[in-house]
Amino acid sequence: MIEVNNNLMVNLTLIREQMVYHSDVTIREFLIGNSGVAAAIVFANCLADRELIDLHILKALMSVQGDGTPITKSFVTNQVLSVSQITEVVSVEEMMPKVLSGSTALIIDGFTEAIIIGTIKNKTRNIEEPISEALVRGPRVGFNESLTDNAAILRRHGENASLALVSMHIGSRAKKELVIAYMKDIADPNLVDEVRKRIGKIEMDNVPESGYIEQLIEDNYLSPFPQVQSTERPDRVISALMEGRVAILLDGTPFALIAPVTFSMLLQSPEDYYERWMAGTLLRLLRFFAALVALLTPAMYISFISFHPGLIPTKLALSIIGSRVGVPFSSLVEALIMEVAIEILREAGLRLPKPIGPAMGIVGGLIIGEAAVQAGIVSPILVIVVAVTAISSFAIPQYNAGISLRMLRFVAMFCAAAFGLYGVVLFILMLCAHIVKLKSFGVPYASPAVPYRLNDWKDFFVRMPLFMMKSRPEMLHTKNKKRKRL
Amino acid sequence: MNINPKDRINTIQAAVIVSNFILGSGILTLSRATAEKAGTPDVWISVLIGGLIAIAAGVVMATLNKSYPEQTVYQYNRIIVGRWFGGFIGLLFVCYFCMTAAYQVRTLTEVTGLFLLEGTPPWASVMVFMWVSLYLMVGGINPIARLFELILPVTIIIYLLVTLMGLRILDPNNLRPVLGQGIMPVLAGLKATVFSFTGLEVILILTAFMKHPNKSVKAVVYGIVMPMGIYLITAVMAIGVLSVDGVVTRTWPTLDLVRSFELTGLIFERFESLLLVIWIMQIYSTFTIAIYAASLGLSQLFNVKIQKCMYALLPIVFIIWAIPKNINELSAFGDFIGNISLYLFGIVPIVLLLLSKWKKGSTEETDEAES
Repeated sequence: MIEVNNNLMVNLTLIREQMVYHSDVTIREFLIGNSGVAAAIVFANCLADRELIDLHILKALMSVQGDGTPITKSFVTNQVLSVSQITEVVSVEEMMPKVLSGSTALIIDGFTEAIIIGTIKNKTRNIEEPISEALVRGPRVGFNESLTDNAAILRRHGENASLALVSMHIGSRAKKELVIAYMKDIADPNLVDEVRKRIGKIEMDNVPESGYIEQLIEDNYLSPFPQVQSTERPDRVISALMEGRVAILLDGTPFALIAPVTFSMLLQSPEDYYERWMAGTLLRLLRFFAALVALLTPAMYISFISFHPGLIPTKLALSIIGSRVGVPFSSLVEALIMEVAIEILREAGLRLPKPIGPAMGIVGGLIIGEAAVQAGIVSPILVIVVAVTAISSFAIPQYNAGISLRMLRFVAMFCAAAFGLYGVVLFILMLCAHIVKLKSFGVPYASPAVPYRLNDWKDFFVRMPLFMMKSRPEMLHTKNKKRKRL
Repeated sequence: MNINPKDRINTIQAAVIVSNFILGSGILTLSRATAEKAGTPDVWISVLIGGLIAIAAGVVMATLNKSYPEQTVYQYNRIIVGRWFGGFIGLLFVCYFCMTAAYQVRTLTEVTGLFLLEGTPPWASVMVFMWVSLYLMVGGINPIARLFELILPVTIIIYLLVTLMGLRILDPNNLRPVLGQGIMPVLAGLKATVFSFTGLEVILILTAFMKHPNKSVKAVVYGIVMPMGIYLITAVMAIGVLSVDGVVTRTWPTLDLVRSFELTGLIFERFESLLLVIWIMQIYSTFTIAIYAASLGLSQLFNVKIQKCMYALLPIVFIIWAIPKNINELSAFGDFIGNISLYLFGIVPIVLLLLSKWKKGSTEETDEAES
């Protein structure tokens, strides 16, 4: 360990040796006021706040009017530097990481410590509306990439002393700050401990996005369902905290994580609560229906066409079979062609620059819809099925839940192709068996549906009027059960 | 010893498991089996009385369990009648559960082979079915209970919806006269209806998992009343729509009941596919809990891990599944199982209950004598 020497020149030589690798570090030498003591500040050009350095460090130190007594450390920190964050380090190794993250190091001749002054300047994006979770009604606020901003957004939500923001560090090489947010007097302490324990266990040298954390703390990595919810919306985080859940915010990403997750949450949108309860309830039911449609329609198509045309009304069966006369493929291959095409279209649409997007839609829609039918590759009824499926899957408010359904849809199609309706039933049973076995941080994934928690059903398929939702979800075992009183 | 202390179910879940176990067996065939024996439209009275008998039997079993909380029948019958004989009875139970499971799944293949999967080899459909069931049961009693809680309301809603649509073509004359030939035909039909309630014996092992074992009587009564209601509706609808003669001549009267009406203008005009869907789910639940009960028995009798027992039992059940050659042998097999269940769960629990009371009485007496 290289200790800070009391000779300024020795120190600066040491730092200059290091500067070969850090071209953005600047050293500025000067004299402290009229005392004639030599000093230097070391800072990183682009990371430090230059205005702060000029006004409150350089100007303050240079204009010291001493009375001849030697300059002491306490004099500098207590009377000269008008900056809020000040720490001291004794070694160069400790000093350099701070400098490289934006702080300024002040080295004074004759001192064996370097004073680290907090001059970190965050360049952040403005607070914008989240793109991935658009709402008609609700705050137009989304998280951004700065952890301090995000924490501030949560704090600003309302005067609330019980909001705990516990800081942790993660990543062994690129150290990043992470905040666990929860309500001290609501959240189950066991849950908070569990979250903290799982995060503590993460061993990674670099954590670029909260998705890494999500994957490293989830319960079952083989499950197709997301077991941690990610969101850009602060209002979503706040209401989850108020229910007794825990949120995880990571520096450098606008996506906060919420745990534990239950299946019903994937189909809920904050708007359900902002609109009046009838609209909220009906929209929610609509979403459940859409999820079913998105999951099962192609599978039902395959099983009815290939196995049981007798189970659909005769006229419909005749018209479907009539329209399939020229199609050379089995219903599975036919459906796969279209479904895969739709998935490719969707993926391509995501990557395209915005102006080209609509063109893509037109080309895709025209070619795949019209031409495929006219060429006799697929039947028109299948185009309807695929279109209905695609539209329904867009109605899922969470992107990652939508992906789960998309994956499972293909599984369902293969089951249907193998065993018809029987296969679809077995698929549903398998899926249900998986969901009831799955837990997210100790909370059964299928709750509140099962085990029956009638009280929680007020906010499940339906959204009861707000005055009826007096208690927090039972399944989360919150410390404070009632919403009304503190 | 094999019970994870966290793996507890509540009273509702116990009732739901009992209901699910019972429902699988009776929905499709109850009305024919009873009408064959009774020959009069009074099937519904048989169902009612059969249900009451089932409740009585259930109460006996639950009371027996109460004296041995935290223990399954496999454990406490060895305390009551001795290690070897108790073990023997336990093995009989295991065999019975295996046979029930095989019988149920064989019925399933018969029906699906007839209505859904004409060309598919039955062994393929049955194997997949067993795997899906295995996936659930290795998770233990708690996921099983939770899945059953999902299935049961869906079953009830769809079932009521589908059968009650037949009300339009229900002919009350088919149900008359009530008790036209006296009470004897009703009693003749009783045996068949009691068979339809087999499955309630699962309470013998469920109590050990219950959070509140002293509520097991409540659980079993609720668990039986539910299917009883469903059976009553089925009997009334099937006889009312198809008439006694119509029911007797049909192999699966409930399916024919649903096929006998059409509602035009909806996406589905016929509803037997819906009925089949929920029925498959019911057979699934019956099968799962039966194998679970059998594996639990094996694991407690021989001190092996329950998962191993499950893996071992599936091939055995598969072999039993393949034994009946045709539908007649299958129904003979069903009757055989029914008879066994009558002795095994009608008489054995009563004997055990009396023995345990007598034993307790005698120990208390000796206690008193000592003090």
